[in-house]
Amino acid sequence: MTTIIEARGLTKNYGDTAALRGIDLNVQAGRIVGLIGPNGSGKTTAIKSILGLTGFDGELKVLGKDPRTERNELMNEVCFIADVAVLPRWLKVSQALNLVGGIHPRFDRKRAEDFLARTDIRLDRSVRQLSKGMVTQLHLALILAIDARLLVLDEPTLGLDLLFRRSFYDNLLNDYFDKERTILVTTHQVEEIENILTDVIFLQHGQVKLDAAMETLGERFTQLVPSPGNIEAARALKPFYEREVFGRVAMLFDGRDGAELARFGETRAPSVADLFVAIMGGSPAVAGAKEAA
Amino acid sequence: MIHPNKVLMLIRREVWENRSLWITPLVISGVLLVSAAFSGSPVADGHGGLHIGPSMPPEALMTPDVAKRDGVYAGAISVLTLVQLVVLGIVVFFYLLDSLLQERKDRSILFWKSLPISDSEVVLSKTLTALVLAPLIVLAVSSVTQILFGSIMWLRFHSTVVGAWVTAWNPLMWLKVQVGSLALVLAVVVWYLPLAGYLLLVSVWARKNAFLWAVLPPAAVLLIEALILQSHNFGDFLGRRFAGVFMLMDFPKDEGPEGPALSEFLGHVGRVFTHYETWLGVLVAIAFMVAVIRVRRYRDDS
Repeated sequence: MTTIIEARGLTKNYGDTAALRGIDLNVQAGRIVGLIGPNGSGKTTAIKSILGLTGFDGELKVLGKDPRTERNELMNEVCFIADVAVLPRWLKVSQALNLVGGIHPRFDRKRAEDFLARTDIRLDRSVRQLSKGMVTQLHLALILAIDARLLVLDEPTLGLDLLFRRSFYDNLLNDYFDKERTILVTTHQVEEIENILTDVIFLQHGQVKLDAAMETLGERFTQLVPSPGNIEAARALKPFYEREVFGRVAMLFDGRDGAELARFGETRAPSVADLFVAIMGGSPAVAGAKEAA
Repeated sequence: MIHPNKVLMLIRREVWENRSLWITPLVISGVLLVSAAFSGSPVADGHGGLHIGPSMPPEALMTPDVAKRDGVYAGAISVLTLVQLVVLGIVVFFYLLDSLLQERKDRSILFWKSLPISDSEVVLSKTLTALVLAPLIVLAVSSVTQILFGSIMWLRFHSTVVGAWVTAWNPLMWLKVQVGSLALVLAVVVWYLPLAGYLLLVSVWARKNAFLWAVLPPAAVLLIEALILQSHNFGDFLGRRFAGVFMLMDFPKDEGPEGPALSEFLGHVGRVFTHYETWLGVLVAIAFMVAVIRVRRYRDDS
């Protein structure tokens, strides 16, 4: 396995405010990692550090390079989409193809053209004439045609309607992703991407709250809805999160045997969104999960 | 590490975005030619109505001395270029001020930074666009304008009494005007390099109102110096930086309408390149550019 991103004690302060408090990351090749956290959690700072857009303290290697000093070489193999709004409005679609083709040594123009041919985007249009969804499609067409080892997506589908969001991730999986490539994606809409992720990292207040492979989540975390008589007994097993839904109590456990918990009521694997709320939700029980993570 | 191919691609990108770089000279050229076609009127005695360009009194052309006539004609068509160059100065001033601010205002900087291009390549491309490409466009448009101007003059006046003189078109004279213009532009560009560097630095540093950031600090220094020290050293310095290139060239003021010969003209222009102030300015400009590249490295408004 090749390590794509390795961070140790990654720290970033803006004046008195700590954006990253010494986080550790290890991202392997061929993974799709969701970096998930509320606004101000430090995820954008983490991404900017990885892309060499900001200075930082601590150790960070991306594709074995230091983004602070080796950014120019790094960007031959790293791509990113920061936001739907970043393509310059005056740029024509045909110019965009010429431009990226003229600059990027790993750009396959044919691929981009084939992708665009499947959309309603015409080559003579400028970005200002395209809808928000089409701008994202154009950006995606450019990115998909670049043979990069690491693709970083920061809220790539922000402000798009459901159809565009869905097709964005479908295209990403079908046309881009393979075992050699790695994708790091941040989003608010956890539920939309949890099916495509191989790993999740939760960030809060500049710290990693959870860093786990998706396939281990089911073994590690269990959601239990105890039958009414068993609530106290289940509580004795120390759930790290508890909430009441329609008069029934749902508890989340970390590191408990599912079969054991099943004796108290209904169990199931929690969704990433459930875990996100439980771990980030700020309930008093969160402290327990912190240690566990 | 700077890749020439990438810089050329980025210069193309500058022209895509800043169409005023070539539209402005074309519009000015059009206005000049239209006014040449319709203003003034040929009169029998060669006086009064006929003024070709601001500085070509027709009687000056009516001389059998070919060299003198060429000189007058060269002076007249040079005015077409000078008008363009003055406007170019204004266009380039605002282009430089905006060049590294606009990409942050529209957030496209994140797109540019997602491509494998270095800050040096970006800054270099913008500098070359402003100081090499834009002047070359203007000189090219001007040289064609001069030919068209000559053709219009011929069409209008070849059958009048001044026709024989006005239509004395000399390709060698035209070529000399181009050489002279190119040399003049080169000297002026090299002299103003530190100003260009300063404008780029304001552009990469300001979050908005680049014009005010460029103008107000020097104005404040002027004012404070005048109020507190009651002196004007900074003003003298600025005056020298702005007018110095023309002071160095030191063209004779009371020349006849035919102007200096090309060799004499180049001699005056050449003084700019032999003066230490020019090269001191180049050093300052290099320092500005290094600062610009460093600031852009981590500049981000989002």
